[in-house]
Amino acid sequence: MIELLAQTGLNALYAASYISLVAVGLVLIFGVMGVINFAHGELFMVGAYTVVALYADLQMPFLVAITFGLIFVGLLGLVMERSMFRPLRDNPLGGLVASIGFLMILQALASIGFGVRMEHIPPVTQEVIVFSEKVRLPLPRLFVMVAAVVLLGALWYFLRRTRFGWALRASAQDPEAAALQGISINQTARIAMFIGAGLAGVAGALTAPLVSVNPHMGHSVIVTAFIVIIVGGVGSLEGAVLASVVYAFVHTVVTTFWDGVIADIVGLSLMLLVLIVKPTGLFGTAERA
Amino acid sequence: MLKALFWIALAAALIALPHALSFSQQEILVFLTINVLLVASYRLLTLTGEWSLAHVVIMGVGAYASAFYTKEFGVFVPVSMLLGAVTAALVAMVLSYPLFRMKGFYFLIGSFAAGEIIRLLWKRFRDPFGGPKGLKGIEPMPDFSIGIYDFDFFEPVSYYYFAATVVAVCLWLMWRIERSPVGLTFHAVHWQDKLAQAAGVNVQAYRTLAFVIASGFAGLAGALMAHYIGTINPNSFDVEVMVFVLTWAIVGGTATFYGPILGCVVLTILNEIVLREMGFEQMRPLIYGAILILSILFLPNGLESLVERALKPFRRTPASGTPAGDAPPASPASDTP
Amino acid sequence: MSHKRILSALTRRGFLAAASTLIGSGLLPGIATRVHAADKVIRIGFLAPLTGPVAAWGKPGLDGCQIWAEGINAAGGITIDGESHTVEFVGYDNEYDPAKARTGATKLIREDEVKFIMMLGGDTWPGVQPVADRTGMLFSTLLPSDLSPETTTLIAPAEVHPIYNVTGVEWLAENKPDLKTAVMCAQDDALGLPSVATYLAAFEAAGIEMQSEPLLFDPATTDFAPVVTKLISGNPDIVCLDTCYSDYVHPICEQLFQQGYKGQIISCTADFYDQIIEKTSKEFMEGMIFQFPDFDDPALNAEGINFKDPNKFFEVYNERHPGEWGAVSWEYASIMDLWKAGAEKAGSVEPDAVLAAMKDGGTGLHAFGEAKWWGKDLFGIDNALVGNWPVVVIEDGKAVIKAMKSIPDWYDKHGELLKKHMTAYNQMWNQRG
Repeated sequence: MIELLAQTGLNALYAASYISLVAVGLVLIFGVMGVINFAHGELFMVGAYTVVALYADLQMPFLVAITFGLIFVGLLGLVMERSMFRPLRDNPLGGLVASIGFLMILQALASIGFGVRMEHIPPVTQEVIVFSEKVRLPLPRLFVMVAAVVLLGALWYFLRRTRFGWALRASAQDPEAAALQGISINQTARIAMFIGAGLAGVAGALTAPLVSVNPHMGHSVIVTAFIVIIVGGVGSLEGAVLASVVYAFVHTVVTTFWDGVIADIVGLSLMLLVLIVKPTGLFGTAERA
Repeated sequence: MLKALFWIALAAALIALPHALSFSQQEILVFLTINVLLVASYRLLTLTGEWSLAHVVIMGVGAYASAFYTKEFGVFVPVSMLLGAVTAALVAMVLSYPLFRMKGFYFLIGSFAAGEIIRLLWKRFRDPFGGPKGLKGIEPMPDFSIGIYDFDFFEPVSYYYFAATVVAVCLWLMWRIERSPVGLTFHAVHWQDKLAQAAGVNVQAYRTLAFVIASGFAGLAGALMAHYIGTINPNSFDVEVMVFVLTWAIVGGTATFYGPILGCVVLTILNEIVLREMGFEQMRPLIYGAILILSILFLPNGLESLVERALKPFRRTPASGTPAGDAPPASPASDTP
Repeated sequence: MSHKRILSALTRRGFLAAASTLIGSGLLPGIATRVHAADKVIRIGFLAPLTGPVAAWGKPGLDGCQIWAEGINAAGGITIDGESHTVEFVGYDNEYDPAKARTGATKLIREDEVKFIMMLGGDTWPGVQPVADRTGMLFSTLLPSDLSPETTTLIAPAEVHPIYNVTGVEWLAENKPDLKTAVMCAQDDALGLPSVATYLAAFEAAGIEMQSEPLLFDPATTDFAPVVTKLISGNPDIVCLDTCYSDYVHPICEQLFQQGYKGQIISCTADFYDQIIEKTSKEFMEGMIFQFPDFDDPALNAEGINFKDPNKFFEVYNERHPGEWGAVSWEYASIMDLWKAGAEKAGSVEPDAVLAAMKDGGTGLHAFGEAKWWGKDLFGIDNALVGNWPVVVIEDGKAVIKAMKSIPDWYDKHGELLKKHMTAYNQMWNQRG
């Protein structure tokens, strides 16, 4: 039983790592640009496909593929910002619809370029850290956890300790006041979009060898991310991370002791409950709606 | 006078329409007609400024309920459809208590969660909802004859006439509701939230009312769908379908009554007829997505703005169908900083 | 990874190249249809998901059919009443949606005038059923659970999913009698549930004990570590993966490997098993049992196997669609073999005549040997073609057919068990819908 709990804890930590990368990006984009990026799951998917293309097909080193995933998807975010979200800045619903259009394009491109079937990615390493017979942590999973901590730590440092980060937070709180302070909205939007998209991309790239990569893999990711950002409080990056941990533990434990379908219902109910009791989220502070 | 002529011409065109179409286009026409009701009811809901992601699931509630009543209690199909609509409205009423504690973005996501929970319940409880496979063998509309025309409801043309009549009546009702004092209050609740409240309007009650009425019509659309196809399952009402409804409404524009209907008609013809005829199979979602983006970028006020511009010279009164016509498009996040 | 694969990947993956091929292949059949439509062409409808999340169950089948049609047309086509006809497939993407399937069926029947329609079935069949009733069109499905007494023009002549799964369990019990306990997981959907019931019946018949209730997971699951942790927590002898899609089989196997499982694995499919081996190890996958052979298996050249030239088909398929071979690649094509035989025998392509000729004598030439039209008990109608089915085992990194086992023989002995479990999961024909 102790072993089962320990293994479940490791499973949950891994899930929390990649979910928080996706959710933090979504929150950042929403916070700075006020737009719900429905294509966020597909950015995750594109990140996974960069690993398919570079690591699996062209046999580049895995680290190169991940880095490229981060940059490429980040650039894709810039494209979205410039071509869609900036012209639609005063029209958040328009931004939503445009991101839906973008999502369909990305899915179709993936199907056409790579086929409808799941892709194969050879394992990076098969090393497993064996704590005991029933408690094991495969190295690739540990790698995802470490990468998540490093990336989120770097983001935290960037937001709290640099001028850009300060500008970003300022315009997330009050765009007009920030503009008066001489902060360029376009500049902060670009940074937010690059980081937000890049985090989704790198999450997809990191987990690509561990999941089934197919053109529709983004769907379940975006649903999870929505749940998490609601539970965490829509405007709060720290909240998104904490909520990822909470959600991952709840979902993993319910899956292990009941089953996966019930875990989904519990997750959604948790979110609805939070919305009803404390719409600003468990960790949200400011009244934002 | 001119107005009367317009309506007569429109009615004649709609009656003649199916005979100018191929068989598969007639099928598409039936679904299009039902979707017109769905998207028009969605606009009614958005009048108060809230955008729901549960509308398609509510439609599904109507579909499941109507199918269930005919199956379990042998209710006469048209009656059952109305009961399905009532059920959808009641479910919406129950949902409104938690949901209308939220606004804007939170409402959007909250409605999504509520809808997903309903869908998971359909999947989970094989009795009576049929689980992931859903219900099948749903009782069709009984055939009948009105002397000059024999209704055979397997034939898309017959069902089209039936559905179009129902939808026309519903659209008329929705139009009347919007023009009534209640409808004007919906607008007020959206645009002058605080003011309306100060004037003694129970904002929450009106939001709920709009949600419930819209859900009733959506439920009826679901019932019309269920008794035509003969089968429904949880996936028929998933968020991807909702995304289509949302895009119809926004691409069409929601400032006028006909905007979302226009969006639904144009996008459906494009996706189901034009792109398929051109032989694009896997490219279809790609082109559809590109068109969505282009239309929202270059027609931010929707297709309706084109029509409004074309009609302007012919109009003496202000150009829009509703008091809110010239206002910027509604946004769930408009009240978020 | 071989050099060849990289090269093919490089070219295959150029988006422009792929896009242009697609536009080409998408437009050409449409044009071709109009040019050839003049005479002596038999059109067959292919009504399955070609885009969207379920596309993997349709698209590869259409690819297989094109190969089949080329082969047949090159060899003189189909001979009806002394005249030869070429075959042409008309596809319609139903997006796995019943309403679009209905529209597609109408188009194929009334506008393209096809003579036979192949479907994946499942969610989409009930939408098409009224059209089938009215027009008398002959349809085929891969999922016999679509069958009921009313579906008189629907046949399930290739897959008898999930009934054939009993053969794998039977073989397991005969050859590894010391394995006594099992666990199972499945996605909670229309494919997973009847399969769960079938495996439960097969395990009970074989005297294998279930350690816990089957674990159901949502089809949207991406991380399978928790599922696997739960599955192997009681140290079972056998892990059964039910009819999990390859999107689930792969990560589940990988997790089983990483979490230290060493016992037997049994599954309905193991598409792309070479990739699973690469993710785990040859030793780990040794002995995994499933039900879908590679078509270069020499056992398929044996007397009595009716799939035409399976090795050649496998070769051409892999050449054209590298890395895409799976269960559905050959199934639709094998249905066409059966249909062709029926049409030639009837001397007609009309649906009722072909169906009568196909079912004549109560037996038919299934891909894996002569089989019976069967199913009254389970489906309420004898429209499933059931006979032998191969048991495939991974040996030294390669799928090998170890036995051809008779499904009806198993059913004669253990039919009541199957009915019991099917009833418990609401899967009998009189419980569905």
